[in-house]
Amino acid sequence: MLVNQEKCIGCGICIPYCPAQAISITGRKAAIDQAECLECGNCLRRDVVPCPTGAFYEKEGIYEEPRGIRRFFSDPTTTHAVTQVPGRGTEEVKTNDVTGRVCRGEIGVAVEMGRPCMGTDMAEFEKMTMALAKIGVVFEEANPLTQLLADKSTGVIDPKYKNEKLVSAIIEFTAPIDQMPLIMATVTEVAKSLNTVFSLDLIGCFEEDGSLPVLPMLEAIGLKPRVNSKVNLGMGRPYRIIRQ
Amino acid sequence: MTHTLHRRGSEESLKNDYVLLVTAAAGINHQGSKAKLQRVLEVVWEMGPANIGSQHLGTVLQGYSLEEIKNSLNEVPRVRCSFASREKMHAVIKRLKELDLGMSVTVQGPTADILEMCREFGIQPHSVNLSLDIWGKKDELPPEEILEFVTMCGHGLISQHLVKKVIEDVKKGKKTPKEAAVLIGQPCVCGIYNPERAEELLKKYLPQ
Repeated sequence: MLVNQEKCIGCGICIPYCPAQAISITGRKAAIDQAECLECGNCLRRDVVPCPTGAFYEKEGIYEEPRGIRRFFSDPTTTHAVTQVPGRGTEEVKTNDVTGRVCRGEIGVAVEMGRPCMGTDMAEFEKMTMALAKIGVVFEEANPLTQLLADKSTGVIDPKYKNEKLVSAIIEFTAPIDQMPLIMATVTEVAKSLNTVFSLDLIGCFEEDGSLPVLPMLEAIGLKPRVNSKVNLGMGRPYRIIRQ
Repeated sequence: MTHTLHRRGSEESLKNDYVLLVTAAAGINHQGSKAKLQRVLEVVWEMGPANIGSQHLGTVLQGYSLEEIKNSLNEVPRVRCSFASREKMHAVIKRLKELDLGMSVTVQGPTADILEMCREFGIQPHSVNLSLDIWGKKDELPPEEILEFVTMCGHGLISQHLVKKVIEDVKKGKKTPKEAAVLIGQPCVCGIYNPERAEELLKKYLPQ
């Protein structure tokens, strides 16, 4: 984003709204640090940031690569061309009863890099994707981050994106349930070397009797889910829960 | 993915924090789903949501009406809203089961309570997305009292600096908890932020 210096009156009302702290007052006008700006669009929304003069505007070519990935991943009002899902998102458990992305006997894993609050650059993603590729993880095709990999078998990010930063993005994959301990050990080991944070998600399917096989497995490796979760009620059609 | 997961806070505070997601699956059942999702919006509205919105437009907290939100749905539509009580969520699930629209319904909230409601209505849940917490450089995160607000927007649009400023305003008596709760929630463009929960959380900052 950019600030029209003619319009800006330097009131500073916009400053606390920026999740990246990229806005400052310089010479009595607001200025945006372009290296830190994640193009989330917060400052541009006049129904969010009450800029009295509407001084914010989009830079020309903001949707073009490589910087365009900041916009697509950080602003949920945009729609990704491959996934047809807004922003950084994927449909994961939200439509899992219809897509069958994760079926019985499998787990779905999401590593949400940069979330919460800290954001992340591509070097941090690569630490995680390379470690996961080494243990044979196959990254989800219908995920926008997978589209940024130059080599899906090694987890190497396309070099043209190396200088980009995002509010957050999700490394996502499905695996057989018996691989869960190895995957969790890998992810938690990489966590020790990161310069950012991530939120960790695990999807599992319920059995006919209502049990959740992944729960005792998590307990066995010392991981306890938080009390609140996201449950797919199975109301979607056509219904899929068994891998064909 | 999962922008409604990882909401932080005490068990007591999370007890009345529900998010409803009704979603058409792109490329599978999205064709012709817009009218169904508009119907869901009408039904949900009658139940008294704490927040409701559309990421293509914005939320009621930003001043948009139900009609505007309904009209903003695109060809791969999705309904997002939050509820501040178990009773309301219970009523919504009951109604959605009756409607049987064939769209995916996902509920974020206390796992045990959601599964209990499923049993009551004879619903067999399909799958669950579990939160396994935050990892990495956690010592650089803001304190939990800030995280419980910012994690109500999983897209990361609620800035920790806005929350800190607004809490100071409440402490100084410049804003009521209700005004502050709305202000914090306006950057969340899809409607999953729960202003009623936020208002309760902000009451502890009122000047004595």
